[in-house]
Amino acid sequence: MKTTKTLLSIFTALLLAQAGSAVAQDTADEGRELYMANQCWQCHGFEGQGGAAVRIAPTVYPFEAFAQFVRHSNLMPAYSPNVLSDEQLRQIFEYVRTMPEPPALEDIPELSDL
Amino acid sequence: MQGWIGKPVRTFYAGDSAQPFSLGGNMAKEDRPEGVNRREFLTTASAGVAAAALAKPAAAQDASARMAAATPPSAAMEAMENDPPEGYSAAEASEYFVKHPGSDFMVDVIKDLDFEYITTNPGSSFRGIHESIVNYGGNASPELLTCPHEEQAIAMAHGYTKAAGGKPLAVLCHGTVGLQHASMAMYNAWCDRAPMVVLGGNHYDATERRTGVEWSHSAQDAARVVRDYTKWDDTPMSLQHFSESMARAYKIAMTPPMGPTVVIIDGHLQEAEMHGTPPTIPGVAPTRPPQGDITALEEAARWLTEAESPVIVVDLMAHDQDGVDALIELAEALQAPVVNQSGRMNFPNNHYLSQGAGVVAQADVILGLELYDTWGTLNTLRDRVHRDHQRIARPDARVIDIGVKDLFTKSNYQSFQRYNRADLSIAGDAQATLPTLTEQVRRQMSSARQASNASREARWRSAHDQAKAASRDAARYAWDASPISTARLYAELWQLIKDRDWALVSDDSQQSRWARRLWTIDRHYQHIGRSGGAGLGYGAPSAVGAALAHRAEGRLPINVQRDGDLMYVPGVLWTAAHHEIPLLTVTHNNRGYHQEFMHLQRMAARRQRGIDGSSHVGNELNNPAPDFAKIASGMGVWSEGPITEPGDLRAALSRALDVVDQGEPAFVDCVCQPR
Repeated sequence: MKTTKTLLSIFTALLLAQAGSAVAQDTADEGRELYMANQCWQCHGFEGQGGAAVRIAPTVYPFEAFAQFVRHSNLMPAYSPNVLSDEQLRQIFEYVRTMPEPPALEDIPELSDL
Repeated sequence: MQGWIGKPVRTFYAGDSAQPFSLGGNMAKEDRPEGVNRREFLTTASAGVAAAALAKPAAAQDASARMAAATPPSAAMEAMENDPPEGYSAAEASEYFVKHPGSDFMVDVIKDLDFEYITTNPGSSFRGIHESIVNYGGNASPELLTCPHEEQAIAMAHGYTKAAGGKPLAVLCHGTVGLQHASMAMYNAWCDRAPMVVLGGNHYDATERRTGVEWSHSAQDAARVVRDYTKWDDTPMSLQHFSESMARAYKIAMTPPMGPTVVIIDGHLQEAEMHGTPPTIPGVAPTRPPQGDITALEEAARWLTEAESPVIVVDLMAHDQDGVDALIELAEALQAPVVNQSGRMNFPNNHYLSQGAGVVAQADVILGLELYDTWGTLNTLRDRVHRDHQRIARPDARVIDIGVKDLFTKSNYQSFQRYNRADLSIAGDAQATLPTLTEQVRRQMSSARQASNASREARWRSAHDQAKAASRDAARYAWDASPISTARLYAELWQLIKDRDWALVSDDSQQSRWARRLWTIDRHYQHIGRSGGAGLGYGAPSAVGAALAHRAEGRLPINVQRDGDLMYVPGVLWTAAHHEIPLLTVTHNNRGYHQEFMHLQRMAARRQRGIDGSSHVGNELNNPAPDFAKIASGMGVWSEGPITEPGDLRAALSRALDVVDQGEPAFVDCVCQPR
């Protein structure tokens, strides 16, 4: 009985995780569309690597800091909620979080031997 | 003193030359074409020698020694030169034929000033001197370089002089329309303090103008269109006047602050027979640039040596490698960090005292050397509707401003930037002033201050290493992305050129400064600086002009070319092919005028309208995307692209370099990330 309960819990957790992952992926996909449509890439690059503005991916900032930067920065044009809702901002944030880490420096000879 | 291209004995920046040069009087023998052409021979060795000597004494006198050994002309040849042509009476011939046109003498003057090249787009208002350059001058020193646009011709001269250690080019512009085409590029040169002498055609006597176009291409005051951004202009009314005005134009252009000058050449003066007293060529002795006042420099040295955190900020300073070396001496004497704003290559980026702009905020004494924008160095202005500003520098920081900007300026165009009250303002050419300042610093530095230099050095070495590591780390991001990251573009290029004698003939500011962050730039000629006025259409032609200067030194010039800039005067690619100017051009092709994308976004966000995918309107260079490789190929330049995958880039660049190594231009279209 105990084993059955345990297996059921694990199964449920996996299902929830999978569902959560699917939701997160959906959110990130929508975030990607918003990232492109709102031209975030013009300043931050298609990979969020930075350029005219700072690197934002893979982000280590919490959402609150990310939102503060988008809404109230002195550096970038402030995107108000009338232009970009909190939900949309969250979706962009999730997309930015999903961006993969680049190769390690040791794996890029063109850079590691500079 | 290391000289300019191919002429090691002479420096064009006169600040540290031991011997002022004078070109006056006779034409330099090495600048004359080999041998003596028929015309020269006949005009000097025939019975008409006296008239010929009167007409062009400089060429004649110089050539006389070679005449002696030459074979005398036959009677038939003599008759051909001096008798009326067959079928013409003497009176008719006198109306139709010109033996010694004024423009021949003009060529003598130009040769005397040692211009190696003249860039030009052909125009009838200077057809007289055009013919003289080709036939009388032998199209050598100066050689005409054909440009499909005057904007290109000027920008080529701009790039050339910066790559050639200050040696200027001359430019020939058509009357009115030619100078109008040239004007934006001249503004860039003005802002960037780039010397050149621009010759403009015109027809002053209204009663002698051909009907139609000759009127349209003439002006009452031909140089007026560019007067706001040239140092000096003149309209000579005689050949002697021309000779003296050319010398003056050269001298003024080359005196810091350097810049373009203009001489308008009347069509009749070019085409008419020379008569009367023979004109002479006065020559040029260069003006030694002004050095800062010694008392002021003593005070500056005291401030710097007593400062806890002195910082040097430098922009349009180094004319040549001597300027770089002089700045190294000063920086090391003080162990003060150097912020290179890179209007010129002023300081090696691999030197441990090369630091980022952030150090300005720490400084208690700031030494500015030839700053284009002193106020903007010390302050920042927020790009908002209410444009408030903040001081970057400490409130108590004292500012020493050394440079020539106060010595010459004009009112209309506002390139002089916002006024800043320096605490110690010293008028003088900074490069010429540096040795004295360094000497004063050494003299006044206390032993305690001297003793602190070791710890200062350790601190700046550490900071330099950290900044370099941060740049390498930042370059990893988007390494495998398509479009290709600008960091990867520069890293791939570096692998191919790092062991060669290369020169970057473009500005990397719009590519996140990756050349300056990843490459080792330690020679003056390796970085060309900015455009000056930020007028697009400068990049491609200035790169070709710089490549022309580097050709003589056998250097490998690299141009990372912005797509928007290339759309202005792509014809310069043809010039590079036609004149066989080796140059590797790689596009930073981001499919648009990227700066303006961001401006449009800023406006839309500020007005809470959102951009929602429409920032391309008015900004993109897409749909259809220009096929730059085809454009280059159509201009006769080897090309490849568009390259969109980073894995394909190295091989394409390598193939292009093979072409450049054969003495030709090559072009790779690389589709990149925005910055």
